[in-house]
Amino acid sequence: MTDNALVELRHIYKKFTTKHLFLIDEETRKRRFYKRKEVHAASDVHFSIERGEIFGLLGPNGAGKTTAVKMISGLVRPDKGAVYVDGLDVDKKRRQVLRRVGVVLEGTRTSLWPLTPLENLLYYGTLKDVPRSVLRQRAHDLLDFIGLKDKKNVQVRRLSRGQKQKLAICIALIADPQVLLLDEPTTGLDVQSARAIKDKVMEMTREQGRSVLVTTHDMHVAQELCDRIGIINHGELIACKPTEELLALFAEQIFVFKIDRPVNVETMAALPGVLKAEMEETGDGPALVMQVTPETELRSEVLYRIVDLLKEQQVLLHGLQQRQQNLESIFLKLTGDPHQ
Amino acid sequence: MSFFRVMKAELVRSFIIMRRYWFRTITGMIIGYGMLMVLVAGFIYSRPGVENAMDRFKDNPMGATNFILGFMIGMFAFGVVGMFTQGLQSMATTGVLEQLCMSPHGLATNFMAQTMVGSVTSIISSGIMVYAVTWSVSRGGSGMLHWDTLPILILLILTFFNLVGFGFMVGGLVLVFKQVGQVAILVRMGLFALAVFAREEMMHQPFPIPYMLHMLPITDATIALKYVLIHNQMVSVGTTEAGEPIMQFSSVFFHSSFYWLLVSCIFWTFLGLFVFRFLEDYSRSKGTLGSY
Repeated sequence: MTDNALVELRHIYKKFTTKHLFLIDEETRKRRFYKRKEVHAASDVHFSIERGEIFGLLGPNGAGKTTAVKMISGLVRPDKGAVYVDGLDVDKKRRQVLRRVGVVLEGTRTSLWPLTPLENLLYYGTLKDVPRSVLRQRAHDLLDFIGLKDKKNVQVRRLSRGQKQKLAICIALIADPQVLLLDEPTTGLDVQSARAIKDKVMEMTREQGRSVLVTTHDMHVAQELCDRIGIINHGELIACKPTEELLALFAEQIFVFKIDRPVNVETMAALPGVLKAEMEETGDGPALVMQVTPETELRSEVLYRIVDLLKEQQVLLHGLQQRQQNLESIFLKLTGDPHQ
Repeated sequence: MSFFRVMKAELVRSFIIMRRYWFRTITGMIIGYGMLMVLVAGFIYSRPGVENAMDRFKDNPMGATNFILGFMIGMFAFGVVGMFTQGLQSMATTGVLEQLCMSPHGLATNFMAQTMVGSVTSIISSGIMVYAVTWSVSRGGSGMLHWDTLPILILLILTFFNLVGFGFMVGGLVLVFKQVGQVAILVRMGLFALAVFAREEMMHQPFPIPYMLHMLPITDATIALKYVLIHNQMVSVGTTEAGEPIMQFSSVFFHSSFYWLLVSCIFWTFLGLFVFRFLEDYSRSKGTLGSY
């Protein structure tokens, strides 16, 4: 943790217990008189968010992402550990923390549908204790910034889903918080709306110096938006690194040779420096996929050798490309088997 | 100070919704009036058995007034407690509750302001309906209510805090156990029935029933309100040299129900707020705060 950390989760543990009476057991499909189930939403979760940073929290459903957001906003209290926002303990100084945090929770309505966006902002601004002297101007500025200026007097129920989500972000920003927590901000939105929201989040972080925590399933959102990424699964933070570093860490040297006919992969696999060789059928025809050693010199040598072998076998080489790692493959690798 | 800002925001919100959905507001009042009239008419003029039992209503319009008043106070209690139970539950479902929980004013302050504004609206519309129904029943003649502003205002404020205290307690339970909302409907119906049938004769039961009735949140409020609105008498304090009273005020302030109402108001307000804060804190640990 650095001195620049605005949000800090220190060794958080959280367990939820559910009790069922006379319900059908989801696993055995048998009716049970009583069942007690424990879910670990956080097990020694430890990370921080720097000032002006976009931090992404990725994880499958039920991994504990929303619980982390709710713990930062004081809606859920950790069983063990502490959460700090701007140096304030969320549990002890909750009201002061709430003045520094804006939250958009996933799948909730947040805004009052019979009111207009402007009326919503004025209402929530008062509830969030925004001084009267700045409230109206700030509401107008936010609607202008997010692109809802021409919809400010239209009832929320008449707005599209993307526009409602934009309004939810405005509501979270009305008290000018230092930290913005976005729980699945682009889920269910069309491409344009998701793009617009991504751009606005970038803008408000880079230009306005806020810290943002984004939880998402969408790997493209995370890869494009986040400076640093934490991957959470079954309540455990299994990776937490700058995006580039995370991609580099899991980068594999995989080369795809597009050829005119299949070749004997066993010969290729026997070459020194080759870790794996296989044939793949692509839309353009067959492809020889070679995973080679990360060691630079040996890699260079083996690549030359593969090309020579193909030439010797009179195989036509249409093209050669290196397969890029993306966050999705890293994510699947990390969360596919939680015990790995 | 912050409470009044929140209350103003709530007032503006309700006013906008009331104005924007004016047709719903007016039809709601007309339907309420119609239902009460049908109920009273049915009660008085229907089957012979009921007619015999309720004969006093025919001769004494005050009997019907008593019933209507009980009905309206019951509706008020039903509404106030409902804001803490079904209101809270529906806000949790839509996600608005999570926003209220994240307000630096605190959930209790937001809720108090919201209930206060809701109650003012409810009192105004109920007042109009009570007057319209009693006027219709008594045909503009005898049986009109005594409107003594000061005691009525004091009693309404005490009744409100009495119900809010009780509502906070039930609302706290709803924060933790959302399913309690269904049970709360029964509690609300119980309060409604109590308000309709509450009268002084109920207190002549063997020990400890009268004390239990006194501690229920609506019994003495209803008795005292009915007392002022139906039987109000003025009590004079001192006389001038000319024989004029120096001061006059309502005899309800000498009525035992008024003092019981004070006691129950203090009891429920403190207990309700304490339980609500405790359960709000507990629901944060359970992870149920704001969510459904």
